[in-house]
Amino acid sequence: MTSVLGHLLSHDFDARYKAWKSCDPSQLFEASIDDFVEESKQPLAENIQAQARYCQILYIWTDCDREGENIGTEIRSVAVKRNPSLSQPGKTVRARFSNIERAHIINAAGNPIPLDEAQSNAVQSRIELDLRIGASFTRNLTLSVQPMLRQHFGNDDQGVISYGSCQFPTLGFVVERYLRVRNFVPETFWTIKIMHEKDRVKVNFRWARNHLFDRMVVVVLFERCLAAKTARVTKVQTKPTSKWKPLPLTTVELQKCGSMFLRLDSARVMQVAEGLYQKGWISYPRTETDQFDRDMDLRALVQKQTQGGDWAQFAQGLVDGGFSQPRSGRNNDKAHPPIHPVNFVNPTQLNQDEQRVHEFVVRRFLACCSEDARGSKTDISILFGGETFSTTGLTVLERNYLDVYKYDRWTSSQELPRFQEGEVFEPTEALMSEGQTSPPGYLTEPELIALMDANGIGTDATMAEHISKIKERQYVETRARARGAQQIGDDGAASDGETAVVAPAAGRGRGRGRARGRGGRGGGGAEGRGATNGMQEFIPTTLGVALVEGYENMGFEISLTKPFLRKEMELKMKAICEGRKTKAEVVHETIEQYRDVYVRTQQRLDTLRAAVRKYCFGENG
Amino acid sequence: MPSQRLLTATPATANGNAAEIGASVSAFLTAKGVPPTQAWLHTFLSGVRLTTPVIALQQTALFQIRKADLQTSITRSPSNLLPPGTTDPATKEKHVCGPITVQVLDIEDIGRSRWSQVEALEALERGETTKGREVIRVVPEESGPDSTAVADEAKSSGPHKLLLQDASGAQAYAMELLPLKGVGVQMSVGGKLVLRDFTVARGLILLEPRNVELLGGKVEAWDKKWREERKQRLKAKAGIGGER
Repeated sequence: MTSVLGHLLSHDFDARYKAWKSCDPSQLFEASIDDFVEESKQPLAENIQAQARYCQILYIWTDCDREGENIGTEIRSVAVKRNPSLSQPGKTVRARFSNIERAHIINAAGNPIPLDEAQSNAVQSRIELDLRIGASFTRNLTLSVQPMLRQHFGNDDQGVISYGSCQFPTLGFVVERYLRVRNFVPETFWTIKIMHEKDRVKVNFRWARNHLFDRMVVVVLFERCLAAKTARVTKVQTKPTSKWKPLPLTTVELQKCGSMFLRLDSARVMQVAEGLYQKGWISYPRTETDQFDRDMDLRALVQKQTQGGDWAQFAQGLVDGGFSQPRSGRNNDKAHPPIHPVNFVNPTQLNQDEQRVHEFVVRRFLACCSEDARGSKTDISILFGGETFSTTGLTVLERNYLDVYKYDRWTSSQELPRFQEGEVFEPTEALMSEGQTSPPGYLTEPELIALMDANGIGTDATMAEHISKIKERQYVETRARARGAQQIGDDGAASDGETAVVAPAAGRGRGRGRARGRGGRGGGGAEGRGATNGMQEFIPTTLGVALVEGYENMGFEISLTKPFLRKEMELKMKAICEGRKTKAEVVHETIEQYRDVYVRTQQRLDTLRAAVRKYCFGENG
Repeated sequence: MPSQRLLTATPATANGNAAEIGASVSAFLTAKGVPPTQAWLHTFLSGVRLTTPVIALQQTALFQIRKADLQTSITRSPSNLLPPGTTDPATKEKHVCGPITVQVLDIEDIGRSRWSQVEALEALERGETTKGREVIRVVPEESGPDSTAVADEAKSSGPHKLLLQDASGAQAYAMELLPLKGVGVQMSVGGKLVLRDFTVARGLILLEPRNVELLGGKVEAWDKKWREERKQRLKAKAGIGGER
């Protein structure tokens, strides 16, 4: 029994095409690709070959996801070099398993299945496409733009300007939000507020129309309310309500929560989680599954957490009868269960970051196994001058999961006085007031991850990588979000209307004059506004904006900075897995699609250069 | 020869019949709220085959008059025009019986900021709403049966404010007090409405389903121009700060 460390094989172009200036980048669409074992993995390959020599059967136990299937075929190809008999039918098999409980594993061991060639092919095609497209576009982009950057800033520091079919849409989201914030035009809106004091409680009623963007109309409606003098209660409804406990934990969710609650960026969260996994404290942290298998013994896992930590008592409560089956989400990658704690560990044995991540995983798991929080909600509506206003009161009756999951909030509102349907009263106060719309904030990491997830960019395993990549390539920078900066959407009724002030993008180099002057305010932006709340937001650099604008202006129907292309590729991968398309078809179709884009890029390079001049050099277009 | 004439004679070319048809069409249109002028009727009749069954002619006439400018197609009388002083802001409230026929010159969604409407138009232009090219920008929060969807605001439509014009060319603003079926930014400019029994508050006509009949139709040239200039107008309004 032996193991590998991820992919065993690497792929690169034949030696003739390796050097950047060796050929026209477009030739890479057809250039031959070599599969080889990279130096650092040589010992693994040799080990496999040594073991393969004398065995009759090769039994693969890699993860049961697409990548795992592909790695399985890589192992087979390496083993077959030494023992060709393993390529015969039935000589290489694989186990299907999705968790590491004893019974499950024993069952899997007894029921081997053949490797899924279709899934492996899907991964093969993705690898090939990423290589061909990534390399050709990166070379083209760098060769076109790097010289002008170097020349302008007078140094050789400017590195590679890379293209990746996931990186670019990720950058696209950041730039797009940045431009939305910059171009935002605040607008005034008007609303009617009713306040009535009863039983010494001041009740605020919210207008059913929320707010309107036409002053005259609101004045007319307001006048009709005043003319009516009295309001009539049209609805009084009290009913039970609940706040659902969270879903089982996936990688994407962990990353989002890591940013929001733990002040750790996605790359760091994954790094810490991996460490906790290696040490045996939590389950495998790369998973899309948000449902627990019915036959998993969750109570036993809860039992383990009664041994210590701040949550021990809560866990004991679950064991003593409070346990409730977790909710099931809609995703199951069939390879791994949701992230959960597998053993008890005393927090003092962990370093600070590990403690925070571990605590989150435990609390989340215990919350999943609790009851929803329960409360009672009262809705009251009144009719005043033909207009409807309403108010709502919440009483939290049972906190349940909230007692262990301190990351969610749900509190009782002030208690509402009793109203009766049909009751008529003269409102204490009726006012017309105005406010202004304010721009959305720049993208935070949880928002970016959510966007990538919703638009099919990257997988749970790679999202953090794409984000790291665009930081590494200096397409974006992060800065702490100032406290008080708007986090609500652009129609949020904030009458102080604090907007994020953004200096126009100028090509100010920093220090050594690289093409990465900030797209937003200069470095000290967060200072002077008081303490930050720790959330990081993404600001594109001038180079990032130039690239996105440059490509957008080329006027493609299928822009490289939008998610469609990548999403299509993902759909085609799926088609290969399901046998609807072959690898050859998909590679061919996709190459043709990108070749077309490549040709157009070549023809319109000036547009890209103009964008670079505008944003990076600060020249007016 | 007499027999041939009998066979080939198209009865409707006889004057009497044209007049009858004309009267029948006119009565039909008048009942619908769009009494045609003699000139319009004449033009209409000369463009159709009078052998067509009268019912079909009536429908065709309605169809065509709905596409015409009211100012040149229907007869005016004090009873089908907006009363004088309708738009006077000094009058707190006024009741009008009607029926008054008007055409729509402009439609605005006043429940959403103009800027968000501009952004939505631009997303449409970039093809982000076409199937397969959608870019999902708002990710819904899920926290239970009470989760309030903030995202909804960006999509909600209305209420709408309309600019209406009667057959004499007089204009007045109107707003949807309650949602009206068929009224929205997708409705056609030049479409006809018949208003009955309505209230005007400070010069603003208040519309409700019970006092509006949507006849439909559109004036092609106006509608086209309106759609082309919409984004410009929204931007201009947003820039001024949205005040009327």
